[in-house]
Amino acid sequence: MVSAVTITPGLRFDCGTTDDLDQLFAHWQGDRNPAAREALVRRFMPLTRSLARRYDRSSEPFDDLLQVASVGLLKALDRFDPERGHSFASFAVPTILGEMRRYFRDCGWSVHVPRGDQERALKVRDAQEMLTNEHGHSPTVSQLAQYLELDTEQVIDALQATQAYEALSLDAPRPGAQDDSSITYGDGMGHEDERYELVELDATLVAALEHVPARERAMLRMRFIEELTQTEIAARVGISQMQVSRLLRRSLDQLRALTRDASEV
Amino acid sequence: MAESPPNVRLSLANTPENVVLVREMLSGIAQAIDLDGSDLNDARIAVTEACNNVVLHAYEGEEGPLEVEVYLTPRTLSVLVRDHGVGIPGEPESPELDAGGLGLHVIQTLAHGVEFSDGGDGGTEVWMEFAAANAGSLALPPEGRPGVPTLALPGAPTTTICIGPIGLARTILPRLVIALAARAHFSTDRISDAQMLADALVAHAHGAVSGDKLSIDVVIEPRDLELHISPLHVGRAQQLIGESELDGLGRVIEKLTDRHEVVAAGSHETLTLGLSDPR
Repeated sequence: MVSAVTITPGLRFDCGTTDDLDQLFAHWQGDRNPAAREALVRRFMPLTRSLARRYDRSSEPFDDLLQVASVGLLKALDRFDPERGHSFASFAVPTILGEMRRYFRDCGWSVHVPRGDQERALKVRDAQEMLTNEHGHSPTVSQLAQYLELDTEQVIDALQATQAYEALSLDAPRPGAQDDSSITYGDGMGHEDERYELVELDATLVAALEHVPARERAMLRMRFIEELTQTEIAARVGISQMQVSRLLRRSLDQLRALTRDASEV
Repeated sequence: MAESPPNVRLSLANTPENVVLVREMLSGIAQAIDLDGSDLNDARIAVTEACNNVVLHAYEGEEGPLEVEVYLTPRTLSVLVRDHGVGIPGEPESPELDAGGLGLHVIQTLAHGVEFSDGGDGGTEVWMEFAAANAGSLALPPEGRPGVPTLALPGAPTTTICIGPIGLARTILPRLVIALAARAHFSTDRISDAQMLADALVAHAHGAVSGDKLSIDVVIEPRDLELHISPLHVGRAQQLIGESELDGLGRVIEKLTDRHEVVAAGSHETLTLGLSDPR
């Protein structure tokens, strides 16, 4: 981890005007006067902070982002050449952003689901269940955002992300379940299947639905035949509404693919 | 600059919450073309700067249009942000870097290529190009791009989404719909339904719409979301709903919506789908 830039009190340099800036750069770059550097850091910290804030929607804590940006600022202070006639700020912005981009590349952002995002998605899922139990219906995005002290965009991203997270093991067996892959959150639905035997006799029902796993098939029927809400399905099956959402979407996709294949034969 | 119509066009009002839509759209594009996470971050930050500029400065406190277009070529992702406002606020070289000036510096650093121009009617266009190795498979031949203007609707909706080819909508539309349903104060339960509706539209729209593109005007009311899909070939709106029928489950589009309506207009028709969340 990079060290933080500390600013000590008792600065001996003013840092108001452009002339002062030239003087400060001369003192820092020429004489290596640390007080001049501190004055420059103080002067450009708002700019640095503002740039760090641009990355604040990432999963990194803001303090870490600010430290990385501060390292960029220090590099810019060392490398800036006042003789070239450009403003320091126009030199510092690419240098600071460059430092931040390097940091993110080194953090392994090529991995599809950054760890911080996963954790946030889990928090949103848990809050969603908690608030549903409390209010008797599922919460809105702004209720979730308010409860978790996130902004609505972060909640929207988390809702989107939970759709993709096989890695979260939402389908994992319940703690204490037998070591049998068929016993998952969907267990306990066997009696539901029997009730649907009648529907299965319906002549419109052809093979495609039979290819969807029994648990998903039962959930599809609850949503589209019984017209239960996802929250009601979640309560009946004993999983979260967000998990119901993901499984329904996935099995609808599966059904469409099967139907397409069948019609192409 | 663009020589042919875009792959995606969002016509929006210049409100801060619409910048979220733009960002979600970019995430959907990134997923479709397998854009690296840090490249997506660069694009999102640069495009956000350009949009924020339109939100904060273009109309001097008034509301006005914010238009965002995405163009995919075999190796690039380009984004055009357009307004019809007062023009570029600050020069990129302004020494003190006010809010606008800083944004331009950020854009210049993060985009591989940048062009600022006036939009012809006094507004501003910011064209940003980013490297995108896998964009090629979804880049459209010019004739297939979503160039057709959407049908004018009563009440003049200010949110219009146009995506082509339709396959590209698969990763974009559900994301946009989450953000739109969230804005309509839907519960997560109904947001998921809206998402499934978006999936169904993308899956079955082909054949119903003119050209390989999907155009949707969105009307957002508290706890109500209305999607106007157009232009559809005459008779195809009902067909689109019919094609969403899945074995033993019925017509998915019908079951997920509270109402639907087909309005004919000359040689085309518009399908209106309404979802509400009364709770």
